[in-house]
Amino acid sequence: MAVKEDDRAFTHPLYDFMARMPGLDVATTSVDKLLTWGASNALWIFPMATSCCGIEFMAAAASRVDLDRMGTIVRGTPRQSDVMVVAGTITVKMAPRVKKLWDQMPEPKWCLAMGSCAISGDFYRDIYSVVPGIDTFLPVDVYVPGCPPNPEELMHGLLRLQEKIRAFRAGKPRGAAERPPTPEHMRRPSLPRLDDPTRPDELSLLQTQSAGSLGHGTEMNLIELRRSKAGEALAAKLAALRAPAEPAEKKE
Amino acid sequence: MKGAPKNEELEQLLAAEFGVTEFPADAPPLVDRTRHLELATKLKALGYRLYVTVVATHYLPQAASKAGPEQPEHFEVATALRKPTQGGALAAWRCKLAVGEGIPSLVGLFAGADWQEREQFDLVGVRFDDHPDLRRLMMPDDWEGHPLRKDYAIDTACTPWR
Repeated sequence: MAVKEDDRAFTHPLYDFMARMPGLDVATTSVDKLLTWGASNALWIFPMATSCCGIEFMAAAASRVDLDRMGTIVRGTPRQSDVMVVAGTITVKMAPRVKKLWDQMPEPKWCLAMGSCAISGDFYRDIYSVVPGIDTFLPVDVYVPGCPPNPEELMHGLLRLQEKIRAFRAGKPRGAAERPPTPEHMRRPSLPRLDDPTRPDELSLLQTQSAGSLGHGTEMNLIELRRSKAGEALAAKLAALRAPAEPAEKKE
Repeated sequence: MKGAPKNEELEQLLAAEFGVTEFPADAPPLVDRTRHLELATKLKALGYRLYVTVVATHYLPQAASKAGPEQPEHFEVATALRKPTQGGALAAWRCKLAVGEGIPSLVGLFAGADWQEREQFDLVGVRFDDHPDLRRLMMPDDWEGHPLRKDYAIDTACTPWR
């Protein structure tokens, strides 16, 4: 069966060459399968381990559970990795660094949030220095709940990620569109998530700028930016978004 | 605050040379902030060569009550030194600072005081005079405010990260 030109979810020089050759449809399909197999079975992990989930991640990578079985190799550099496993609490000081490392990873890339802290900030979420969930600045593909999750649960999360990659390569759109709506009695993060339709564009821009200027001597002064007109407008926008879900005395 | 074990040597020194008369059982004695460095120098000469810690605390203004007289907003900086021997004695004292006042830095005496004083400056906002490099240590450089002050709201927003 031939793959239709319009349905392609990826590009590859070999694929393009074969698609142009007459009578190679069968081979094209085989190459597609081969590439999908390769993409889902060579998940090189960049471990963004900041706390106790990192220990559990190490246990998962060690011989008992042995993530290597599915071709996952833990790399020390974002430039050779496919999956970022965020294992632990991300603080306000760490967040621009995480964002910067994420931006250095080559596409296609995937993000796995391991543990309650990475997912929502858990019981640290109201502390002045903690980011309330990494999905306020990273597009998370798989959430692995637990505090911390077992190595087996992380393994399960990676298997689900493989399923997602296969579905993506078969043409299913990527994204967290299947997330159930947050129940009314649960509090939303204090910042809108990446897939939140009410999220202001300036927020993503500011996060990218904040991460991009790290360590280049051109430190963007966020204090000045927050006090500028644009910064105040953004803060007012965020406060308005926050207001309905938060109790009245939490207003700033 | 549970006081350190009684230190006769320290109490004699404070009574004789620093005019300290009160030695509360539940807290280290209060010493005038301008004589902080002098006291540390003398204690170091007496053998207290190990710099244990410095802890700054912020106090909101308090009305007069059973617990004590009326207090304006102020800071207290507690410092502890130890003799580096087995079971070595601990010498601890407090200094009271009004808002805007600084305290002499001990970095000249103890190199280990450097980051500890930076930490207290970062989180509580106490100024250590003559500190060679008084920058933030834990919070990001572009952080506003000092989070361990009593009037700092825990859910303060920090655009663009929370």
